[in-house]
Amino acid sequence: MALLEVDNLSIGYQTRNGTFQAVDGVSFSLESGRSLGFVGESGCGKTTLGLALMGLLPPNGRIRQGSIRFEGEELVGLPEDRMRTIRWRKIAMVFQAAMNALNPVHRVADQVAEAIFTHEPALSREEVNTRVEGLFQLVGVPKDRMRDYPHQYSGGMKQRAVIAMALACRPRLIIADEPTTALDVIVQDQILEETKNLQQQFGISIIFISHDISIVADVCHDIGIMYAGQIVEYGAREEVFETPVHPYTRALLASYPTLNGTISRLKPIPGETPNLISPPPGCRFCDRCPGAGKTCVTARPSWVEISPRHKALCHSCS
Amino acid sequence: MKGAPGEMKPTTDLILRLEKVTKTYRTKGGRFGQAGSRVVALNRISLDVRRGEIFGLVGESGSGKTTAGRLVVRLEEADAGEIFVAGTRVPELKGRRLKQFRRKVQMVFQDPYQSLNPQRSIFDTVSEPLVIHRMGNGAQRREAVAQALKSVGLSPPEDFFLRYPHQLSGGQRQRVAMARAMVLGPEFVVADEPTSMLDASISAQIFNILLHMRDKLGVTLLFITHSLAAARYLCDRIAVIYRGNLMEVGEAGEVIERPRHPYTQALLDALPRFGQCGAVRRYNTLLGAERPASQGVGCAFYSRCGVAQRLLCSTQAPSLRELAPGHRVACHYAEGPGAGTATTEACFYAT
Repeated sequence: MALLEVDNLSIGYQTRNGTFQAVDGVSFSLESGRSLGFVGESGCGKTTLGLALMGLLPPNGRIRQGSIRFEGEELVGLPEDRMRTIRWRKIAMVFQAAMNALNPVHRVADQVAEAIFTHEPALSREEVNTRVEGLFQLVGVPKDRMRDYPHQYSGGMKQRAVIAMALACRPRLIIADEPTTALDVIVQDQILEETKNLQQQFGISIIFISHDISIVADVCHDIGIMYAGQIVEYGAREEVFETPVHPYTRALLASYPTLNGTISRLKPIPGETPNLISPPPGCRFCDRCPGAGKTCVTARPSWVEISPRHKALCHSCS
Repeated sequence: MKGAPGEMKPTTDLILRLEKVTKTYRTKGGRFGQAGSRVVALNRISLDVRRGEIFGLVGESGSGKTTAGRLVVRLEEADAGEIFVAGTRVPELKGRRLKQFRRKVQMVFQDPYQSLNPQRSIFDTVSEPLVIHRMGNGAQRREAVAQALKSVGLSPPEDFFLRYPHQLSGGQRQRVAMARAMVLGPEFVVADEPTSMLDASISAQIFNILLHMRDKLGVTLLFITHSLAAARYLCDRIAVIYRGNLMEVGEAGEVIERPRHPYTQALLDALPRFGQCGAVRRYNTLLGAERPASQGVGCAFYSRCGVAQRLLCSTQAPSLRELAPGHRVACHYAEGPGAGTATTEACFYAT
């Protein structure tokens, strides 16, 4: 059984103008010890998806249909007190710009300890302290900096502390939402390396959310490309990057400058993402797609299997 | 690039010249009587930008790259050193001559969500420079604004005249900011991380507009970025700076394919590779654990450099040396075979 199974999940935000369909019919599954990356541009629903898995949608957000099964247990509609026993103890999250979320008036180590106390109140002070020490060692923050305050930390160290906090209750699954966006490349590289090590060491599953293809390519086993609330291509990273089939994936790759190979002219994607309050009836990418035909405009595309580990949501990809 | 004084190319070829430019910021003293500390944003930087090229200034946050851009367009004053734009000394400009200078030299800022006034329509925003410089009558201004909007791919331009920034996407806003810079027909534009707030597909649009500005409109660009990949795509030449010090300057392809400075090599090592990459060379020049910094006398990268030798590198700042035609490097050990520990690694899906 997979650790996490998401089936036909749709999430809407209530707005004055109607329901904004941020996530629409998303299905995927994640095995223990594997990592899955979601790539997409701003507004594609990747953060909403992460929040829904944590049961932390904002007040105007609602799961409209579908299911999220974690270790066989259905999370959609789960009472909040039950969700609390899962959140952070089994599923933890590294939030976007979380390094700014550290409380400036408490010592960093105390904030990590607080996460443990809250979720595992049975532990003694000594046990918690030992665990916090271990966590700091794990993420590479020197022991003598544990009693510092957040302002004494660099950006990379704060991010490490936040990762330590996510690991505090030894979760099975970590959702990392753009964990390195604000960091410089060298620090980013170190944190990505550490993430990979931690994952291998403890067999944690990771869902990695990013707008940066190269990062996801570096860290994740499987990749889901998201566009306008849907996963449009899904598969093993080697296959998705080597033989991308969905026109959006191809367009995204063609708009990204690389450090290798010949310099070919970057091709921007023309047009704009569709309005998700009243999304187009057919394929959501059809306005911007060079190969769109008549059916693309009128009919919803269905999944095309390219290989056992690779599929795309497209009319013309078969 | 010829840096030595005797070799200076005719000034017509150079549009920007920095000579040993230094800029220091003082932080405010603490509330309890601590003295403020000094932050050296730029440390004796010298570089030339040739007319008609895109020159990339690459560095991490806090490296001083934005400060350099702000000094060039004279949003700030340097503490020491000389800045020449098209042969005139920028720091001396005053009054009418400063205003003329601003017609020739423009800047595009990083964040299009903050650089546009939300209360002004796009027409007002883009035509404001014409009003300030008293150029043209109403009809001519309309025409100039339409041209500028068209040159950044916002067409038909009339559709945008009466819109406001909140009605535009991030990419459109940044293009409006670029149109505002272009409306005066500048010779030289400083673009400070114009795509760092934008998605990849939108960034590509902005990059291609910058190329259009160079190729079709003959504008020289100083492109400030943290992305070596973007610099490789856009720039003719690049300079890598670290904590206010110039580390390496050269042709973009040369610097990225044959980097000589351990810091440039470390930057390249840190970038996740993807695409058709086969094998990737790793330089391994970054030290596992930092060592105490050289107290302002040695090389700025000493504390993190795996190539550095304590005797030389912690006591003597390396000067820029020309190691190949046009390729200058500030490192005592730049001739070595990289770090000596360079390895080749298969890319994760070698093809």
